[in-house]
Amino acid sequence: MMPTAQRRLLFVLLALLSTASILLAAAVGSVDLGWSAWWQALWNPASEHGELVWRLRLPRAGAAWTVGALLALSGCLMQVLLRNPLADPYILGVSGGASFAALLGMMVGVGTAALPGLAWAGALASIVIVFSLARGEGPWSGTRLLLTGVVTASGWAALISLLLTLGPDGSLRGMLFWLIGDLSYARLSGWAPALLALVFLVCMGMARSLNVLAMGETTARLLGEPTRRLLWVVYLLASVLTATAVSIAGNIGFVGLIVPHLMRLLVGSDHRVLFPAAALFGGLFLVLSDTLARTALAPRQLPVGVVTALLGVPLFLLLLNRARVRQ
Amino acid sequence: MSLLACQDLVVRVADVFVVDDLQIDIRPGECWGLLGPNGIGKTTLLKCLAGLSEPIHGRVLLDGREILALPRRLLARHLGMLQQHTVYVFDSSVMQTVLTGRHPHLGYWEREGPADLRKADAALAAVDLEGFSDRSVTGLSGGEARRLAFATLLVQEPELMLLDEPTNHLDLRHQLRIMGMIRQHCEDGDRSAFCALHDINLAARYCSHVLMLFGNGEWCAGPASDMLDEHSLEKLYGCPVERLEGREGPRFHPAEA
Repeated sequence: MMPTAQRRLLFVLLALLSTASILLAAAVGSVDLGWSAWWQALWNPASEHGELVWRLRLPRAGAAWTVGALLALSGCLMQVLLRNPLADPYILGVSGGASFAALLGMMVGVGTAALPGLAWAGALASIVIVFSLARGEGPWSGTRLLLTGVVTASGWAALISLLLTLGPDGSLRGMLFWLIGDLSYARLSGWAPALLALVFLVCMGMARSLNVLAMGETTARLLGEPTRRLLWVVYLLASVLTATAVSIAGNIGFVGLIVPHLMRLLVGSDHRVLFPAAALFGGLFLVLSDTLARTALAPRQLPVGVVTALLGVPLFLLLLNRARVRQ
Repeated sequence: MSLLACQDLVVRVADVFVVDDLQIDIRPGECWGLLGPNGIGKTTLLKCLAGLSEPIHGRVLLDGREILALPRRLLARHLGMLQQHTVYVFDSSVMQTVLTGRHPHLGYWEREGPADLRKADAALAAVDLEGFSDRSVTGLSGGEARRLAFATLLVQEPELMLLDEPTNHLDLRHQLRIMGMIRQHCEDGDRSAFCALHDINLAARYCSHVLMLFGNGEWCAGPASDMLDEHSLEKLYGCPVERLEGREGPRFHPAEA
């Protein structure tokens, strides 16, 4: 456990860095603003540069932050739900359903504005399928949920491959970007941050219960948790977070697996500290990754999913190694 | 009035017939030992008494109320159980783990207060884990992990402690220490304990009452001094047992042929 003062400092630092990363994202891009023009643009939304900053870059950075936080939080929940540190937000097929629906939409030529709605519908269908198949009678079984989810995910993957095979060449690139995870068309609408805030509060309320749940279902029951209900609540919350993230930005990999891990190494496994740390760092990480994705090979734009993996893998290995040395 | 009562209890698991028509009353101040050979269903019975599984027939009453009808949170304030094994998947500190024992006593948004921390410190000291607060649970030895689990149970402060082989992995000194604390838990105030044991002499020394499981649903229960003799133990374990008179009462050991 980190000392309280150190923990506060970390939260302040992560919040400041998050803000800084969003401001940085507003400054750099294909149109080079320079710092004075950037400062002017921030205060004059109506100017030409103001339009660029306020209508394109900041909404995209806001969307990136929100998606990052959603995925990180969802990853924390999935890992405690399945009691497996290798679980990620996509493991139970939520993203598969979303991807299938979105890709089908692209294939038949639906506009980009309709894709989030379609993806959400696909994700919801997948949640309902897994939930009703895994529920059954008898005690909770994490194994049953895991198997049902993983097999459902494989089913979606097969259908997605089918779409990719059959799809017209013209839409293949868009489909591929969506599958890798891309924020080019992401716009920040009010409901995603609102949902993030709401679920975050619920998670904080359940945090101590989840600490107990992480010790195993029987232990949790003996310490007073009605685990069956708790586990389904965790599943539904994690799924809703994932569905929202995927509907905005496609299947951005790695954030939901690596951010919870990194934060566990840094702050320990108490969910009361882990949730806020993971949400803040997830947001920060994705904003920086997306900024890099926009600028690294400018004017070409990379899908952000490529960058998250390229940045995340060495970062994770480094910290893991340092943690081992410290022990 | 009994703290925990079994009425007409029938428990089976798979092919094992654990108890048939079990009737026992665990009263305040009593310390029960549960004896029986491997695989006879001691853990299964403990789980049933903890309300973790349903019996085939009959009822378990805690303070006169049906245990399965009690909300788990309320139940956890009165009944705690030390499981046979503890596996830690996620890393966590010793202090954080021992504090989980306070979980049923705290509200949703409540944090552990100074009083909870004092209880945790006292419990860690009681099991010889002072100075371990910041250590990682995954790095503990088998005996240390066992003592940590017992400290967590102490911090939970249940009136009734159920313990599944509490002396597993412990060295001689800590076996006596933990059994002494269980006995003390029962004698101070109106509290009880019920522990599955393999060491007959620990049962003879620390338990006021004994329940023996013979298999096929057969059981017998009563005060330890009446129950523990070489004949019943020979029947129980299927091997010859010799009785020695110790300073504090009879002690038993396997007879040589």
